[in-house]
Amino acid sequence: MQDRVFFKEIKIFLILLSAVILTSILGQIIAFGGFEAQVRRHIIKIIFGFTILFAVSQINVRFWKSFAHIIYAFCFFSLILVNLLGSTRLGAQRWIDLYFFSFQPSEFMKLSLILSLSSYYSDLSSYELREAKSHLIPFLMTVVPTFIILKQPDLGTAMLLLGVGVGMIFLAGFPTKKFVWSVIGFLGVCPIGWHFLHDYQKNRILNFIDPNRDPFGTGYHILQSRIAIGSGHIFGKGLFQGTQSSLNFLPEKHTDFIFTTISEELGFVGAVFIILLFAGLIYFLFWIGNESKSRFSRYLSFGLGLMLFLHVFINIGMVLGILPVVGVPLPFLSYGGSSLITFMISSGLVISMSSKARR
Amino acid sequence: MLKDDDFNQIVDFRRNFVLAVMGVFCLVLAFNLYILQIKHSRKYQLMSDKNRIRVLPVVPKRGRIISSDGKILAFCDYKHKLVMDYCPKKVFEENVRILDGYLNFSEKERENLFRLRRKRLPSITVRDELSRDEFAKVSMNLFRLRGIHILNTYSRHYSMPLEFSHLLGYTSKNTNEFQVLTGKTGLELFFDKKLRGNIGNIQKEVNAAGCNVRIIDKEDPVNGEDVKLTIDSEIQKFVYDLLGRYKVGACCVLDMQGNVVALVSFPGYNTNLMSLGISKDEWNKLNTDEYKPLLNRFSSSVYPPGSVFKIVTAYAALCEGVVSPRDRVLCLGGVKQDNNVFHCWHRGGHGKLNIYEALSYSCDCYFFEVAKRLGIKKLYKYARELGLGRKTGIELPNEKSGLIPNKEWKLIRHKTYWKTYETMIAGIGQGYVLTSLLQISSMMGKIYTNNLNYSPTLVVKDSENRNERRDEEKNEHKYREESQKPLNKEACDVIKKALRMVCETGTARNSCYAPYGISGKTGSSQVRSIKAGEVGINQQFIEWKYRDHALFAGVAPYDSPKYIVAVIIEHGGGGGSVAAPIARQIFDKLLRTHAR
Repeated sequence: MQDRVFFKEIKIFLILLSAVILTSILGQIIAFGGFEAQVRRHIIKIIFGFTILFAVSQINVRFWKSFAHIIYAFCFFSLILVNLLGSTRLGAQRWIDLYFFSFQPSEFMKLSLILSLSSYYSDLSSYELREAKSHLIPFLMTVVPTFIILKQPDLGTAMLLLGVGVGMIFLAGFPTKKFVWSVIGFLGVCPIGWHFLHDYQKNRILNFIDPNRDPFGTGYHILQSRIAIGSGHIFGKGLFQGTQSSLNFLPEKHTDFIFTTISEELGFVGAVFIILLFAGLIYFLFWIGNESKSRFSRYLSFGLGLMLFLHVFINIGMVLGILPVVGVPLPFLSYGGSSLITFMISSGLVISMSSKARR
Repeated sequence: MLKDDDFNQIVDFRRNFVLAVMGVFCLVLAFNLYILQIKHSRKYQLMSDKNRIRVLPVVPKRGRIISSDGKILAFCDYKHKLVMDYCPKKVFEENVRILDGYLNFSEKERENLFRLRRKRLPSITVRDELSRDEFAKVSMNLFRLRGIHILNTYSRHYSMPLEFSHLLGYTSKNTNEFQVLTGKTGLELFFDKKLRGNIGNIQKEVNAAGCNVRIIDKEDPVNGEDVKLTIDSEIQKFVYDLLGRYKVGACCVLDMQGNVVALVSFPGYNTNLMSLGISKDEWNKLNTDEYKPLLNRFSSSVYPPGSVFKIVTAYAALCEGVVSPRDRVLCLGGVKQDNNVFHCWHRGGHGKLNIYEALSYSCDCYFFEVAKRLGIKKLYKYARELGLGRKTGIELPNEKSGLIPNKEWKLIRHKTYWKTYETMIAGIGQGYVLTSLLQISSMMGKIYTNNLNYSPTLVVKDSENRNERRDEEKNEHKYREESQKPLNKEACDVIKKALRMVCETGTARNSCYAPYGISGKTGSSQVRSIKAGEVGINQQFIEWKYRDHALFAGVAPYDSPKYIVAVIIEHGGGGGSVAAPIARQIFDKLLRTHAR
């Protein structure tokens, strides 16, 4: 009886996932204007991602719980390696080259933070969780890598990491009053953080506040992106009929701006479909978290849901021009290996959880 | 105290709160999409339609290269190129159908066009070069076509491709994105910036279908400047044909102002082939050819100068007072040093010689002795002063500096100490000594103009602006006066006299005894160490690639020098028997054309 429920859950998840993957392939075909070599490469990456997904899903969630801190430490040290040594010895690189693919510590930092926080919180009692001081370690675990990544400079990933960390601290039960005061305090400290930003990051934020400030710089991309999305209308210009992306008015049409490319050709219907798809996935993750008996699985799926949501919201908000351009890829849909692998691992964890967590 | 249930309530509340916040954010996104795609869609559609300004490059015409006698050596030809903007499939098919009527696409071409369209490039090349007929037909019917442009590009041609191959070099077949010709080697590379000019552009507005509406803005290109050379194309051709009788060689003709009259490396290659597109087979053939036609032999390859270097040794010795012109040295056909015997080329020995005789018979023993007395340090100093072992600064890329060895160099390079016998070998221009032909001719120029700042140049400066030119001339005159750095007069006189003897009674007497009077120095530089049994063997019996290099560097007429000629025939044999006759014929031609 119970087994059937698990299978049902996995089935729902797999249906959602495969819908996203199909959209992803369609998106790349639109971006490259046909079944080109790059699309084939993208499919190969997806297949590679699925093998990782399968491998991860076969591992018991308890394994991740016990190794979470070690994984976190590993990611943290490679982050330091890339940033502190990288800037002097390897040239400004965000990644470590590992023969087969390049390992980007900041990308995996998000995942390891979620794992580590889930593991940490699952060991605490409800009394401890209501005390502010027991949240100090999770706070440091979030903030320190955020600062390192901010120095990289990678504003998008830093925002994501902070969002996921703070979100998880909130979900774990940080005292309400103190939380509100901390948020107000943080907003007060923000102007100081301004000095830590690089010039181009400042420019992006200024351009976001006033797009006409620099119509041919970063503001230009946003304007072109808005034109592309807006000219899509309800049903879009039709497959391969998009002029904005095909005439190269759009930058990064296959990576960060893939949502623009798709919504130009498929219109409001296509765009809303993608948002609904992601909303479904996020809701599913929270639902799974609520259903699961182990507290580790619960925090883990909440964390993954938060991460997915922040990715989607920041990316789409960015191409719509309601958030500054920070270079966050759209999960599964953007061309590029590192992000895809992160989300494939996450999906593997979800499958592993939904089949084993309640036993 | 909190109870577990209370806590769970809090956590559930928070989860729902977060979900609600996310839902609100998703609604914000959807609302924004609604505003963009439905409410203001009309506005953005208009903007998208307007948002099509095509910028087409307008290629500048590359400057010509002209010889001193007014022959145009390198020039550009118009070429019409047909490109098509990205456009909807219907328009595209219509375009292809109409164009097919004029251009007669082959099946492969047509397939290629569709393949290129699918790549969604902003524009694709339909035809690289339109014939006159096709151009007329297409340009007459341009109004029926949409998103089609005819671009002017240029192709580079050379009027004397073989004779000037190394000197002018060639341009790439325009492969870069703007279709601008760029120099690859030779003068084309050295003066690339000047010859190339600046690219212009046309900004065209295209409508929703990607078709031309109007020209918005235009920026004309700046054509490249011409370069006028000091080279005489007639002499250049004459020299090239002369060298053609031998397998491999090079020749340099200078006048006394440092202007290069001819600069030839043989064999040459067809630069037209290079600039118009060379097939892989032909390219491989050029690269694997035994005689290396791609190699520039006057400035980019260096040789041991052989006996020609004795001029330097003699000059250094006279300046330093190691020998006086009257001192005699005994030549017995060989000298023993460091447990080795170093032979004179004349096995029997020359007997007792003074410096005049030593130079004119090119006695090795004499210079062994003189070099030993001088020491490598001083020899190095004078050789460098005369411009050997350093770049001449001519307007050509990839000039090689060659090498004059000294003790420090050997310690660094070979990690061993300098030996006395190496000084002796260096004294006759063998061993480590390497110079380019241009350096040798520039050395002759320095001696005969009595100016250490003499240096060869290929380009006539400021041929256009006359006022400016006059000023320049004044300045240059001043500059020249200031930069006049004289040599040791007495030593030069001795050397000049001795070099005249070379051509009258010495090693070049058979070929260079001319009525106007040539003075010069022959050289036969060994390319490998001679084994004991081979001394004095006839060069014709040795395998080609082991034969000596034949060199000659000379000046004529004797009384008032006008031209310097330096010749090298790789593996030609003796300098007196092979290189000197070539120089003689060039002098004949030069002075005859000059007299006319």
